[in-house]
Amino acid sequence: MGSKAISKLSDGISQDLFEFAGYDEEEAKRAGYSNYSYWRSTWQVFIKNRVALVLLILMTTVLVFTLIQPYLPNQKLPTKIYIDESTGMQLSNHKPDSEFWFGTNSIGQDIWARIWSGTRTSLLIGLAVGFFEALVGITVGAMWGYIRPLDRPITEVYNVINNVPKTIILILLTYIMRPGLGTMIFAMCMTGWINMARFVRNLIIIIRDREYNLASKCLGTPTRRIITKNLLPYLVSVIMLRMALAIPLAIGYEVFLTYIGLGLPVSIPSLGNLINEGRLLMMAPSLRYQLIFPALVLSIITISFYVMGNVFSDAADPRNHV
Amino acid sequence: MKKLLVLMLILMLALTGCWSGGTDQPTDGDETGVEEPSSVPKEFTWTYSGEITTLNYLVTASTNEFGVAANLVDSLIDYDRYGVVQPALATEWTTSDDGLVWTFKIREGVKWVTHEGIEYAEVTAQDFVDAAEYLLDSTNESKTANIFYSVIKNAEEYYNGDITDFSQVGVKAVDKHTLEYTLKQPTPYFLSMLNYVAFFPVNGQFLEEVGDRFGTDHKNFLYNGAFIMEIFEPQTRRILVKNENYWDKDNIFLTKINYLYNKESATLAPELFARGEIDYAAIPSSIIDEWMKDSKKKEMVRPNRTSFYTYFYALNFDPKFDEQYEPDNWKIAVNNKNFRKSLFHALDRKAAMLTAEPYNPEQKLSNTITPRNFVSIGGSDYTQIGKLNDFTTTDSFNKTKAVEYKEKAMEELQGNANFPVIVYMPYNSGSTEWANRAQVIEQQMENLLGKDYIDIVIAAKPPTNFLSENRRNGNYAFLEANWGPDYADPETYTGPFYPGGTYNFPEFVEGYTEANGEKSYTNLVDTAKAEVLDIAKRYELFADAEAFLIEEAFVIPYALGGGGYSASRLNPFESQYSPFGVSAERFKGQHLLEKPMNTEQYHEEREAWEKAREKALK
Amino acid sequence: MLKYSIKRLLQSLVTLFIIITIVFLLMRLMPEEGYFGDEFDKLDVAQREAILASMGLRDPIHIQLGNFYKDLFSGDLGTSIIYRPKVPITEIIADKLPYSLYFGLVAMGISLLAGIPLGALMARSKNKLWDKLGTGYIVFINAVPAAVYFLFLQLYVTDIFKLPILFRPDKPVSWILPAISMALGSTAHYAMWMRRYMVDEINKDYVRLARAKGLRNQTIMLKHVFRNAFVPMAQYLPTSLLFTIAGSIYIESLYSIPGMGGLLVDVIQRQDNSLVQALVLIFSSIGIFGLFLGDILMAIFDPRINLQKKEGAR
Repeated sequence: MGSKAISKLSDGISQDLFEFAGYDEEEAKRAGYSNYSYWRSTWQVFIKNRVALVLLILMTTVLVFTLIQPYLPNQKLPTKIYIDESTGMQLSNHKPDSEFWFGTNSIGQDIWARIWSGTRTSLLIGLAVGFFEALVGITVGAMWGYIRPLDRPITEVYNVINNVPKTIILILLTYIMRPGLGTMIFAMCMTGWINMARFVRNLIIIIRDREYNLASKCLGTPTRRIITKNLLPYLVSVIMLRMALAIPLAIGYEVFLTYIGLGLPVSIPSLGNLINEGRLLMMAPSLRYQLIFPALVLSIITISFYVMGNVFSDAADPRNHV
Repeated sequence: MKKLLVLMLILMLALTGCWSGGTDQPTDGDETGVEEPSSVPKEFTWTYSGEITTLNYLVTASTNEFGVAANLVDSLIDYDRYGVVQPALATEWTTSDDGLVWTFKIREGVKWVTHEGIEYAEVTAQDFVDAAEYLLDSTNESKTANIFYSVIKNAEEYYNGDITDFSQVGVKAVDKHTLEYTLKQPTPYFLSMLNYVAFFPVNGQFLEEVGDRFGTDHKNFLYNGAFIMEIFEPQTRRILVKNENYWDKDNIFLTKINYLYNKESATLAPELFARGEIDYAAIPSSIIDEWMKDSKKKEMVRPNRTSFYTYFYALNFDPKFDEQYEPDNWKIAVNNKNFRKSLFHALDRKAAMLTAEPYNPEQKLSNTITPRNFVSIGGSDYTQIGKLNDFTTTDSFNKTKAVEYKEKAMEELQGNANFPVIVYMPYNSGSTEWANRAQVIEQQMENLLGKDYIDIVIAAKPPTNFLSENRRNGNYAFLEANWGPDYADPETYTGPFYPGGTYNFPEFVEGYTEANGEKSYTNLVDTAKAEVLDIAKRYELFADAEAFLIEEAFVIPYALGGGGYSASRLNPFESQYSPFGVSAERFKGQHLLEKPMNTEQYHEEREAWEKAREKALK
Repeated sequence: MLKYSIKRLLQSLVTLFIIITIVFLLMRLMPEEGYFGDEFDKLDVAQREAILASMGLRDPIHIQLGNFYKDLFSGDLGTSIIYRPKVPITEIIADKLPYSLYFGLVAMGISLLAGIPLGALMARSKNKLWDKLGTGYIVFINAVPAAVYFLFLQLYVTDIFKLPILFRPDKPVSWILPAISMALGSTAHYAMWMRRYMVDEINKDYVRLARAKGLRNQTIMLKHVFRNAFVPMAQYLPTSLLFTIAGSIYIESLYSIPGMGGLLVDVIQRQDNSLVQALVLIFSSIGIFGLFLGDILMAIFDPRINLQKKEGAR
């Protein structure tokens, strides 16, 4: 066909060069289809970052390990007091060795077991509080920011809740309920969501009057749809970072509560009270391992969530998806 | 970035400069000009972690607070370093034949001075009457009024408003320098009570002048004691300087005392001491090993004396705790003497003490409720009198006996009580040591006696309202409790166990009822209380009563307060010694050591002191 | 704007009133033993009753509340009952406020001056050296518990530079370390969020357009990116001062600074009702006013934000 010289354009057009295409529904769909999926792309960008991936695997491992650790062979109980055979007394402040991997504390409990038990407690607090904060905080915050008639009343409620000192509520709570995990989680949830709500509200106020939202509104898009489809996706990246930080923040808050004497009882190990016990030993270099190990675990968890949060929020921004 | 840094620094320095320029602080010692040029100023600096709320010594009952006031205001009597009564504001005293009227001669020429050291008035007998009137006015919220009205005639009636005429209350200024107290009933230990803040004087005219502000700071305060508070900055520092008008100033060897506030004192003070910034630091038990192993620091640390706070484990005879812990079953068990004795001998007190004092746990253990060296008669210590002597030197922990009693108890209780007996033991979650101790005791006793016999359930309870919710309500089976003395007489240690006490309610014990319908212990104490003239007899009767409590294992004596270790440039054996009252808080008679005392020196000094004391008391 | 401001301020007063009433009632729910602390055991019943009555706690609750309002509206905050009995609350606060303000302002100044540029720098050199260094710092501050690194700094920095361990009002050199320590956390906080917002902003279309137009990078960063990114930060500035003051509890206890940091927690635990009420009044006034000021600041930085609600105005 190509070898044939064409002297005149119309001459070269022969019927057999064309044929009618039939209507193919599948093909038609494909023309309008891109295989772009928001979450898949986010995931792809996320795992491109090696560090984040490693940390994700690490955190998953830690999480799994804290859950199965008590069932592994040769593990010690976190609250059992070990006795020194030679004196018949508690094996206190025993340095780390092959038997007690992280040593023992002042009354002869195994720090390795206590740390994992404590990590379990603290992660549970962190996850529960973080999840609750996100759920309630985002819902309330979005409504607060977008629905103008609600702005005033919620702002007033916010002002009231935010300004009644948490300590009063915490003391009354521990007075009414017994100190323990449930109380701690409940107390943190009671007081924590409000900041998330305000954070979301501020972001929404900033973008709600942008032109595309006005356009949507003019076109009669229902409020719920504007919030969920126009506003929230825009905020995913920042909200993810905030959530990732909520977990270490909750753990940090637990340390603080322990510091002012409203924490968990020592018989329930948590990273908070492990660190607080260890703090008192800062002045004794040979005993510092009792501070360093729990602080290290806490740091690793915090760093992981922080870095993952940052990378994920970068990845969640569609403009970074290519 | 660099510019920014420079800017930052400038800003900061500027602000700092402005700030410190604005406040006029008197700078260190050399300007005060009150010292004699001949003597080298002896300054003592230390840190404290609990701020005082008031200087008003007529209101407070906290040692922390009256400890400061005790150095600013003198009492009628004082104690020397061996615990012998010495005249102070009272030069001499007499008692009427019926023991009801005490007359004191007030020292002449003692002056009240203001915080600037300016003379305000003379100390007279009327000052003690004015103080009593203030104390007994319930709107002044005095927390020591009850100590006063427990002995003084008509004082309680006046406090409660049953009588309104103050002249009927048993305190009178006969003349300018003669003071007379009339008691409700003969009280052999009355003299020791005069060393307490409830019996301190106050100048009535000044009180009227400052009104509600009395004692709120160093300016609204009058001084007649060894020191004057020159600076009072809450949460920062306070500075005491020697009172040059003090009647006994020759026995005051420190010229200035600096108290520096630090909330983290427990953590920071040892480091501050090691760097030479302060002269006294408590060394917490958690780092004592560290100091003992360091050749330099070892020379700076020594033990502390124990206090007169007593700690014991109480077995509850009126259990009111939750049904799930089977209070009725506990009630059956606790009424069995063998069961009680099995617990008594099973508690390894040394193991428990390791949670508070890992280095030298025996030092703080006590085998009696009343601490040793509290009172003595005829050269023998109270704990060595009568039947109490049987317990003083034996450790209650005895594995074989514990198991023996366990077997007897199991035999006797078979069919009546369910085994294992649940032993419900709450602890205060605010205290790490207590929490640790609860865990240690739980495992130690369960391991020794067997989990088929007892099941100790420890429960963390919040610090808020801990005692009301747990001890006073009888919401426990087995509990660590403590008690401190209110006067220097063994009677004070019967308070928790006498009917009406809110400790372990021994009046609810089954059996032990005597002919007059009272329980044995109540009768023993009542007999002892009635003996007010023959002190030797009185002490013996009280010792027998206490021995009964221990022998029947109603309580397990555990430990004494205080103790521990400190690094200090003061000699603890130079300080005034008194089992009760404020003398022990005073700096009178104390010298600043060139070098802190070490442990060996402490033990030497202690031995010498004990010998000298024995002589002094005879 | 003015009308809006006045209206909001008036509303704030109502809110304040509600808050203080709630706090008043909550404090009355506290256990009575708490008013006596360790001394409870040594008092007899008559004495306890007398003391509680004298504190006014035995009156019916509506009378107590009425008295409280009466004093409040006549501008009398009353006297402390436990913390420093009989001392006017104004006096207690007047002693402490200057320290708190000073440290709060300086710490905030330092952290703004260091944190915002650091965040901006990190965003500009995303994934390069500065970003990594900055991230390292932020991660460290967030990861290591404050209670631990504050103590570490205090011990070692004072040892190396021969500084006094404790704060002394009369020694300027002892002011530096606490102020810097206090700023460390918020510096990281500002840097982190500044970076986040700027990175988000850099990716926006208008920035690409500006680049395409050939604007200088410097101009884009300062005039567009920075300004837009600063808006959400502005909202937080006023309240963050409050946080710095109230959150300085560790620093204040470590260095013995007589500020207000731990005061609220302290007096709540000791149940000094009148002082708690006064502090809540002060802190919530600052808080509410701060939120309002933040909204105004935000509107100033970003004219697109419209705080007034006018039906159909746009």
